[in-house]
Amino acid sequence: MLILKLALRTLLRRKARMALIGVLVLFGTFLVIFGGTFSQSAAKASKDSIIHNFTGDFIVYSERSKDLPSPFAFNTPLPILKNPEKLGAALKAIPEVEAFALYAQNYSIVQVDREGKKIELPFIFYAVQPDPYRSVFSNIKVKEGSYFGLDNGQGPNQGILISTYQNEQYQKNYGVTLRPGESVTLLGITEGGVNTVRSTMLGIFEPLHYKSVFDYINFMDSATYSNLYNYTGVQGLPSSFNTALTAASGDEGSIFQLANDSAVGNIDLSTLKTQALSGFTMVAVKLKDHSRLEAVMKELGNMKDLEIKVARWDVASGFYAQISKALQLFIFIATALIFLVVILIFMNTLIINVVERTSEIGTMRAIGAEKSFIRRMFLLETLILNLSAALVAMVLTGILFITQGQRGIPLPETVSQFLIGGGPLPLSLSAGPFVLALVIVFVVSVLATVYPVRVATAITPLKAMSDR
Amino acid sequence: MNVVELENVKKYYQLGQTRVEALRGVSLSIEQGEFLTIAGPSGSGKTTMLNMFGCIDIPTEGTVRIAGTETEKMTDKELTRYRRTKIGFIFQSFNLIPVLNVYENIEFPLLLQKHLSKEERHERVMQAILEVGLENRIKNKSAELSGGQRQRVAIARALVGRPLIVLADEPTANLDSETGKRIIELMRTINENDKTTFIFSTHDAHIMKAAKRVVHILDGQIVDESSAVEV
Repeated sequence: MLILKLALRTLLRRKARMALIGVLVLFGTFLVIFGGTFSQSAAKASKDSIIHNFTGDFIVYSERSKDLPSPFAFNTPLPILKNPEKLGAALKAIPEVEAFALYAQNYSIVQVDREGKKIELPFIFYAVQPDPYRSVFSNIKVKEGSYFGLDNGQGPNQGILISTYQNEQYQKNYGVTLRPGESVTLLGITEGGVNTVRSTMLGIFEPLHYKSVFDYINFMDSATYSNLYNYTGVQGLPSSFNTALTAASGDEGSIFQLANDSAVGNIDLSTLKTQALSGFTMVAVKLKDHSRLEAVMKELGNMKDLEIKVARWDVASGFYAQISKALQLFIFIATALIFLVVILIFMNTLIINVVERTSEIGTMRAIGAEKSFIRRMFLLETLILNLSAALVAMVLTGILFITQGQRGIPLPETVSQFLIGGGPLPLSLSAGPFVLALVIVFVVSVLATVYPVRVATAITPLKAMSDR
Repeated sequence: MNVVELENVKKYYQLGQTRVEALRGVSLSIEQGEFLTIAGPSGSGKTTMLNMFGCIDIPTEGTVRIAGTETEKMTDKELTRYRRTKIGFIFQSFNLIPVLNVYENIEFPLLLQKHLSKEERHERVMQAILEVGLENRIKNKSAELSGGQRQRVAIARALVGRPLIVLADEPTANLDSETGKRIIELMRTINENDKTTFIFSTHDAHIMKAAKRVVHILDGQIVDESSAVEV
């Protein structure tokens, strides 16, 4: 009680200096809470944004791939998934899976006729199954035409979609503007040469998020993609062939013996039809419950016959997830530096206090106060001041968050695009940053008093006796 | 009964390359109830001697006994406890705690003792306040008091713990002569009434006149002792 009385009155007596320290601590606390909430919100928004726009909760890709999957890997397309139907069936059988979309990224050339002249336009695209892709990702809004005919009930139609920005670039660089409904020729470069496929320009879209990415990425349906790049197989073999093949024991000799079997060896090739294969390189998988991510990834990874690998959303998104982590690190370092400065200023102020109070401390020691009394007195003064300032900061920050939280934190467009795909940062409020701020202020207060208290307790009663 | 005994006490300080001999073999006994002055010029060793009596400094050589206990063997904690219970201090610059009022300043040493009840503390504080005549200034802070009033508070604070010895280091140095005289008279009265031992360091002639015994010190050695009659 005595120490509390002394601490409170000393703080009041030195109110100007203490107010300055209080403001510093208040500012520091605000930074911790704001920084913590900001980085937490940015991390969550970034994660949600990446999951809903690029990767889903995780990406499945070919076991043969030497590279990690990346929604931006247009220069080095991944190996094609060997058995997408089987993979699809396996994913459907996992109850935690909400939806999945097979897709591939590639580039080709769009050729259009203008006044009898053929103009070739570069075309970077995602090859998608229109409906499943839309069930996993919500990253575009069609402004003209339709989304593969699905939004007007006619689809799914085969063709391409391009972004408004892409169309503007075509106009700017080639003097060509594509219009929904017009016929185009697609040119795909394969090992055997250049393939051409007639297709239709289905629509023009505007990216909803990550404008800096989706302005440059267009869309093609998977059937057109298969045709363009010769991803074809045999549509159906005679049932006698399948029966004989199943009956073969499986060793090489038995299979070669089938050539002598008339039901197998004499197939009329003219009766066989080609069937488009997917050419998909990745599957974005969206889960009902994100917390089951590791379990589902493990379950899929154990299905060796699928010949696949899996990559978490943050691994697959490459540097986009790193931006959020780098931002968190930056905020942590900035906050730590600010608190280091606060500690130094505070320590310095406390030492000045101790020097000014040499007589007072020496007198207390002379009349019987133990060192622990002096130590507790300084510590209590510091804690009262700093924790009060921290509490005020917490209340003010809480009010700010409640009033501004709905609107989110406005960010510069470029930062926002890279961090969360655009727009204001929605605040994810939690007690964590508040508790953290309180703990930091407490620890900083204790640390800041260590040296000044050592100086104070080293003051002997002799000092008070000889003080003039 | 001797409350303080100094036996061939020497105290040396190292100031850079120079060794300062503050006390050079001082022996002195002080009895219960004495009103003793240590007189001498500045730098003669008065304050060092007082520090030895007050358990706030220990000798380099020799023995200091307070109420029969040798202080040089005591730990810092034991010395603190000893000061708290056996010794009262009156400082030249009063050294009141600025954030506390008169009542609280006087109560402070009792609060450190912990074992006293609130009622007992109040009784003792009020008794000390009445003794020094500050009953109308109980709620005042030290900044609102005159020099004489502050020294009265310091006297009350020194007495409230009922110490064996009260040590006063030039208690009138910061007071005008009239106030200084009244303060000395007050302490003399308390000494006579309560038989509390008072030890001063001073070069104030009024205090020397009021003292029952004067010990003259020069260059760290006792050079002369005189009784009140001789003074």
